[in-house]
Amino acid sequence: MAAQAQIDVGGILRPQGRLDFATALQPHHGALGARAAAHLLRRAGFGGTPDEVRRYAAMRAPEAAAALLSFPPVGSIRPPREIEDAAGPVSMSANPQQGVMLRKGRRREGVQAILALQLWWLNRMLTTPAPLQEKMTLYFHGHFTSVGRPLFPWVTYDQNALFRGYALGNLRELTRDVSKNAAMLIYLNGAQNVAAHPNENYARELMELFTLGVDRYTENDVRESARAWTGWRVERRTRAVSFDATLHDAGRKRFLGRNGNFNGDEIVDIIFEQPQCARFFAASLLNWFVYNDPEPQLIDSVAAILRKHRFELAPVVSTLLSSNVFYSDRAYRALIKSPVEFVVGTYKALGLLEVDESALAALQQMGQRLFYPPSVAGWPGGQNWLTSGTMIARQNFLTRLLGSQTLAASSWLRGLPVASASVSRVLAEAILQGDVAPDSLAELKNYLAGAGTAALASLSVENYDQRVSGAVYLAMATPAYQLN
Amino acid sequence: MKRRNFLFATASGLAVIANPEHVFARALAQAPLPGLPGSADRCLVLINLAGGNDGLNCVVPHGDRQYYRLRPALAIPQNDVLAIDASVGLNPGMRSIKALYDKGIVAIVQGVGYPNPDHSHFRSTEIWQTAAPDRYEHTGWLGRYFDEAALSRENLFSGVAVSKVLPEVLVSDRTDIPAIPALSTYAMAADRNAVARNAFWNETRDRRLPFESPYLAHVMEIEANAQRSSEELPKLVAGYTTKAAYPATALGQSLALAAQIVGSNLGTKAIYVEHGSFDTHVSQVATQNRLLMQFSNAIGAFYEDLAAHGNDQRVLTLTFSEFGRRIDENGSRGTDHGEASPLFLIGGGVKGGLYGALPDLSDTNMGNVPYTIDFRSVYATVLERWLGRPSATVLNGAFQKLPVIA
Repeated sequence: MAAQAQIDVGGILRPQGRLDFATALQPHHGALGARAAAHLLRRAGFGGTPDEVRRYAAMRAPEAAAALLSFPPVGSIRPPREIEDAAGPVSMSANPQQGVMLRKGRRREGVQAILALQLWWLNRMLTTPAPLQEKMTLYFHGHFTSVGRPLFPWVTYDQNALFRGYALGNLRELTRDVSKNAAMLIYLNGAQNVAAHPNENYARELMELFTLGVDRYTENDVRESARAWTGWRVERRTRAVSFDATLHDAGRKRFLGRNGNFNGDEIVDIIFEQPQCARFFAASLLNWFVYNDPEPQLIDSVAAILRKHRFELAPVVSTLLSSNVFYSDRAYRALIKSPVEFVVGTYKALGLLEVDESALAALQQMGQRLFYPPSVAGWPGGQNWLTSGTMIARQNFLTRLLGSQTLAASSWLRGLPVASASVSRVLAEAILQGDVAPDSLAELKNYLAGAGTAALASLSVENYDQRVSGAVYLAMATPAYQLN
Repeated sequence: MKRRNFLFATASGLAVIANPEHVFARALAQAPLPGLPGSADRCLVLINLAGGNDGLNCVVPHGDRQYYRLRPALAIPQNDVLAIDASVGLNPGMRSIKALYDKGIVAIVQGVGYPNPDHSHFRSTEIWQTAAPDRYEHTGWLGRYFDEAALSRENLFSGVAVSKVLPEVLVSDRTDIPAIPALSTYAMAADRNAVARNAFWNETRDRRLPFESPYLAHVMEIEANAQRSSEELPKLVAGYTTKAAYPATALGQSLALAAQIVGSNLGTKAIYVEHGSFDTHVSQVATQNRLLMQFSNAIGAFYEDLAAHGNDQRVLTLTFSEFGRRIDENGSRGTDHGEASPLFLIGGGVKGGLYGALPDLSDTNMGNVPYTIDFRSVYATVLERWLGRPSATVLNGAFQKLPVIA
């Protein structure tokens, strides 16, 4: 029953074959090996360098999950300088023309600050010792969507930091907090929601897109919830959030079958009491970590874990990342890489230490600008990621990145033996975990050996950088590389 | 070629050297349903006047004193208006469109909008593109048209966005639609790695991969499409000679490419083009007049070019903008986000004239022009009367058709 899953869009495909429900969520046994370790690192983060894959390959599933679930505190994380510089009240000059000029200048700077924030985040994804923390932050960004605010760029950073702080926190508490977050109050008009003129935008999306799914509530529930959320304000010049009791509707509400003088927090609590809420997040997390359009029975099992742990994320994420179903053939390469996964994963696979600015334009071409989801429903994912145009963007990104100077910066690509057979084997393992057709592997070797139509000259010390980067590129041009 | 065969072909070899005549055959363009008008080689060009085009200074109610009262700084002087009749006329920048109007091939539909208007650019753009004011749709109305008409996956140019990013209106579940900002940018980079990749893709027909994935067929199909379409497009349009002097504006260049695609008979049913930004909160008159002049001049060249190739009867141009603007001007000689606005249908198939009621500036909703024609009526008309397809599935409901298409 697809309606039970949160994903109600086309182009989202469930793997073939049958799920063994009885053992699906039990821990996977035995050491991971390189292929499963790389799978885990792709899903829980943004892929691994050959060294990281080797380290995780020796672990068992629960141990590997535990390693990924241990985060350093977020307190010491600082935003990029451009965000800190932008912070401060926006001048509202009495002279309208002058005010407009000031705002235009602020907006220009703010656009730069958002670009800096995008690059900063991509670099965190690449270099953090806790990739799962960034992966969950990205999950929340696509789930509780808001759009970047160039005039008030710190508002965008604050929401990003909120998500990071809740990476393995409590879903109900996050839902309460994000509802009162400036970026959200602005984006879904919560700041305009006052007792005299309720604005239902947030109340509706809170249920439709963030917690329950369509048709799980009535129009009256939307209206009553909107009343409960009245009174939250965002200051015009600083975008500071406050609550104004005089604008709040403190009267009785009837919401999802309950009666009371509810405020917003209580609305969230009532939503989270609905069995559908746990199912909604269970389906969403399965879609994110395991595979798309998961079976209702699997959704129910994961929902039970969420309820048992009162919507704490750590137990459920730990269970998913240790489970048989996660390591099953059905989950393996069963997702299409998002552009962010594709781009950061490529820097990661190459052993590069910094994402450069050109990645931002490439990501836009591929259809994923961070802080600018295409709609309040986030990025639809699945097949929707790939069109001819976005595929050209993916290939052109690889072509550009794999100019031969890239090898000089790589942590591991300089030291391979100068022998076509072993280089092709190493690349097929390190970049594709062996997920390559025999013909393609043979052609890769031919290419390096100077044979076949694709080749230029055989691999030698003199042409090493150019030929190896070409071979890396070819490995990344195989279909497995588009899959996560 | 049936879908199953096509998938088999790509699954057995990424770069099957397909006969371009076969892959891009114009015969594959979907014929209209029996009983519905339209011919197989008709094309819709959709122009997004992005940012919120102020309707009242575009189609000017120069016979309405209320207009001049409410817009002391912004109203277009009566003498400057390109009068259509005693009540309305066009912005002075729109001479070319006025000339086409006088030829009877421009329909102006006034007061177009949707219920419960949203004043956010983002959401309202989304609403216009998805044709779903009351729910979230991940596909656009033209994307659903492609899916509904089962326009062939074999034709890689059944829809084209002349833009950097695929707009939501062309997002579909089953049709691969490229975004081609310019011929030069729709290309795989051509360094030695890319040359090697093409040879590599041609050589590696073996698809025995050691894993299964529900998305593998899609990845391989799109890889093949990307390679073939980027290689073939320059060749397919090379025979076309532009026969009009397009202005050197972005829109002029976009429409020149649109005419080239139409004239090259790729079986293209819809082309998306954008122009803007019309978000004139400040110093509106200079900005909007310039943008409307650019729009009008580009359209003039476009129809001249189309006519010179005998294609003007084949192309219907439809404009939209995410909203009109407030009736009252604001304090910085601009206008803020509003609601309904007029849109244009241009082309040989159009029954020219004014449609819809003139906005009643005394009966306004908090300074907004209320809508009198649901935008989905326009879409339904275009789908059924121009593209020859049923509209109810695409638009999630039945909407009244307008008599704007001959």
